[in-house]
Order: sequence, then C-alpha cells, then structure tokens
Amino acid sequence: MLQFETRSDEETREAGRAVAQKLPASALVLLSGELGAGKTTLVKGIVDGLGIAGADDVSSPTYTIVHEYGEPVRVYHVDLYRLDTEEEVRGFGFEDLLDRRALVLVEWGERFPQLLPRERIEITIDTTGESSRRITVRGLSSDSPASSIGGT
Amino acid sequence: MVDDGQRLLSSVVASQLDTHSKYGGVVPELASREHLRAIVPVVRQALQDAATTFEDLDAVAVTSGPGLVGSLLVGVTYAKALCFAGSLPLIAVNHVEGHIHAVILEERQQSRDVAFPALALVVSGGHTHLFEVPAIGSYRLLGKTRDDAAGEAYDKVAKLLGFGYPGGPVLDRLAPSGDPRAVKFTLARMKGNELDFSFSGLKTAVLRWVEGHNLADEIAQRRELQRAHPAPSIEQWLIATPQATRDLIASFQRTVIEELLRRALASADEIGAESIIVSGGVACNAGLRAATNRYPGYRFLFPSFSLSTDNAAMIAAAAFPKLERGEFAGFDLRAQANLVLA
Repeated sequence: MLQFETRSDEETREAGRAVAQKLPASALVLLSGELGAGKTTLVKGIVDGLGIAGADDVSSPTYTIVHEYGEPVRVYHVDLYRLDTEEEVRGFGFEDLLDRRALVLVEWGERFPQLLPRERIEITIDTTGESSRRITVRGLSSDSPASSIGGT
Repeated sequence: MVDDGQRLLSSVVASQLDTHSKYGGVVPELASREHLRAIVPVVRQALQDAATTFEDLDAVAVTSGPGLVGSLLVGVTYAKALCFAGSLPLIAVNHVEGHIHAVILEERQQSRDVAFPALALVVSGGHTHLFEVPAIGSYRLLGKTRDDAAGEAYDKVAKLLGFGYPGGPVLDRLAPSGDPRAVKFTLARMKGNELDFSFSGLKTAVLRWVEGHNLADEIAQRRELQRAHPAPSIEQWLIATPQATRDLIASFQRTVIEELLRRALASADEIGAESIIVSGGVACNAGLRAATNRYPGYRFLFPSFSLSTDNAAMIAAAAFPKLERGEFAGFDLRAQANLVLA
C-alpha cells in the first residue's frame, strides 16, 4: 500500500507524478472519491509524471467518457459518471479498452463492479479537510505492507 | 444537407426520429451500435427532407474527431463507403470547427457575413474553448478548461441538487427566480495562461454549500418529483425549490457566466475581434445570452437553439471552405478521438 497526505491541488498532482513511477505500463486503475475529491487532478499528475502530456492538458472526461493520451495511446482516462447501466458501459467499448496495452484510469467505476477485472489497482481519495486529501494506492505488484511516500 | 455553404436544406438528429424510441434507455450518442443502427435512416431522412438524392451531392463531410472512437468510426466508415460508391470527394471536419460554422452558416442564411477577426467561445458539456479566428478556416487556441467544461459543471450541480442528469437547462430556467448575489463564489484565478478556465472549484464550492445547508429533504423531494414525472414543468420544479436554493442556483449561474464572459471579452480585446461567436450546447443558456446584452460595444453571435447543440448541418457548413480549396481526405482517413482544432 502506498499513501499520500496532500494539502492542495498542486500536492495532489505531485502525488500523481509519484504514483506514475510505480504504475505498470498496462493495468486497470480504479479511482474512487466523492465529487470534487480530486480524481481528475490526480490523473493530471499521473499523465504529467509519465511525460506524455502536460497537467493543464488533462481535463475532465465526464461528457466525452474517454480521453486518450500518448501516441500510441498509453493512458485512457475514463469517466463512467453519466452512465447508468452496464449495457451503456459495454456500449461505448469499455471492455475493448481493457485489452489494450495501456493504463486505463477509471473514475466512478465502482458503480459497475461486474465489469471490472479482478486484477486491478485501486486508488482512493478521501477528503480530510477543505483542501487536504488522503490518497491510498492498493494493488501494486510491488506492494509491501508498509511502504509510504510523502507526508505521514 | 447544406447548399453552397449558405442554405440549410435539412438537419436530422437521431434522437428526433421515431425509430429511436425503440432503442430503449441507452445514452444513444455513446454507443457505436446505436450509431450503426441510426446512420442509414438519418442520412435517408436528411436527403428526403431536402428533396434530394445521392446523385445531387457534390461531397460528403464527416466528423473525424474529437469524440468517442467507436462512434466516430461508424460515421467515418459510412462516409467513406458513400464517397467510394458515388465517386464523391470526402471531407474531414473537426467537431469543434463545426460548432463555429453553425454561426457562420446562419449568418449567411440571412445574407450577412461574420466580420473577422472573430473570437469563438465553444462551450458545451464536453468543451470550453476560446479560439482566435483570423479568417474562415484559420484557428488559434487562446484558452481552454483545465478541468470541467462549463456545461458539465451545470449538469453536475443540477444532479447534486436533485434535478436529475443532465439538468443544466433546468438551472438556467430556475435562475431568474433567485438572487444572483446571494451566495458569493470565488472566481477562478489561473496561474499561467489567464485565458484558461476552471469550473471544478465552483462545483466543489456548491457541494460544500449544500452540505452546510441541510438540503437532504428538499433534494429527496425533487428526486421524488422526477420519479413521478419524467419531465417536470418549471412550475413543478419551483414549488419543490425553496428560495435559498433558488438563490444558490442564481449565484452559480451568475458566476459561470462571469467566468465565460470575462475571458471572452479579454480575448476579444486582445485580438481586436470584430465579432464574438458563441456556440455549443451552453450557447442555449438564456442567462448567458441575456448577459451579453450588457456589452453593446461587442458584436455577439449565437446560433439558433437547434444548431447550438450537436448536429450534422454544422459539419456540412464547415466543409464548404474545404470543398472550395479542394482540401479532401483520402480513404485512409482515421477517426481521431483526441483531434485538436488548434
């Protein structure tokens, strides 16, 4: 498990850059956290940390459902917020994305547990104060019980 | 179907077709399968409404991006097949460029030309972009959202207040019943490019306000209203919305409009714009349209409601300058999910 305590959007992006160094080239990453927790902010850090796009070029995929980064695509940023049924999630080709050699970062994916592969990385963002967050990363293959970077 | 870049012959949107209802509750624009089912009847209807046939066409224009790759592929593949079968040129259009041309088309229909240089504000559920348009077909990106699109902020705020999704238009209609200065929201201050937008902080500020004002009962009441009536009238929504929440909605709307117009006007001044094109779904927002009247020194141009939201006529309109220049796509044209205009 990897854990970060952040106090601002910039620190959350910085945590994303650190997480990027730990992620495999291909995996499903489930991003959980309430509205406004900073899921897209964390993705900005991850994409920037991988060096495939600037943090300012990463925006919310809520409406467009999927944003792609890299050529060939190395990161798919997916948001299932406005989808209600598994049929809709399948309909836009979610399962095809999982077969790609790429990172698939999914927001609001916990609403469709049946569609998620069992082997996955889970990142949870908890709101601990107005602008402070606790970011917990689980499921990294290099996981050792007590590894911790940044903060306490 | 568009004639000569200035006459709208027909415009068909899949969700308006009767055949569409049998597709059930799927969000239609998302699913490539739904596109596949809709594309043939939609094209047939567009030809029929324009009293034309395939033989009358000079070219076929298609959106090659940005968007969901599966949906784009259906259009690109079908357009290629039409062009191959009819020996017609294929023209690739960027979706965002289409929004800008919705306005140019409608001005031409009224025998007016848009004065350039123009500033284009493309604002919808998925986009919030400012472009300098020195002349037709030429674009320079001045600013864009770094997080949520303006329309997305509207829809998310509507959902958290219990107005369903997408509920942005409901907020626009309720806003006049509230005091737009009742709740003070902080305007976004952008580091780096000051013409970039951010709506995520505003969305979170609304969430915090809601958490601090014990709205659970009225939100539950509105959700119940929507369960009982699939599309409640504005009067029904008003009954279920106490004054404090109306004030919140009015203040939210005022803040979004200020964010949009502040940057649009600053950009227009910077480039010496002769006109300001506002297009995309949020261009339907009555509060935004009314607010532009406060700036008579600027020439604001909005499309009609039906051409503000996504449509194919704007793609045909955007293709005409390319037809004149002979700027055709080959059969190797690819759907590009992350295509950028500039």
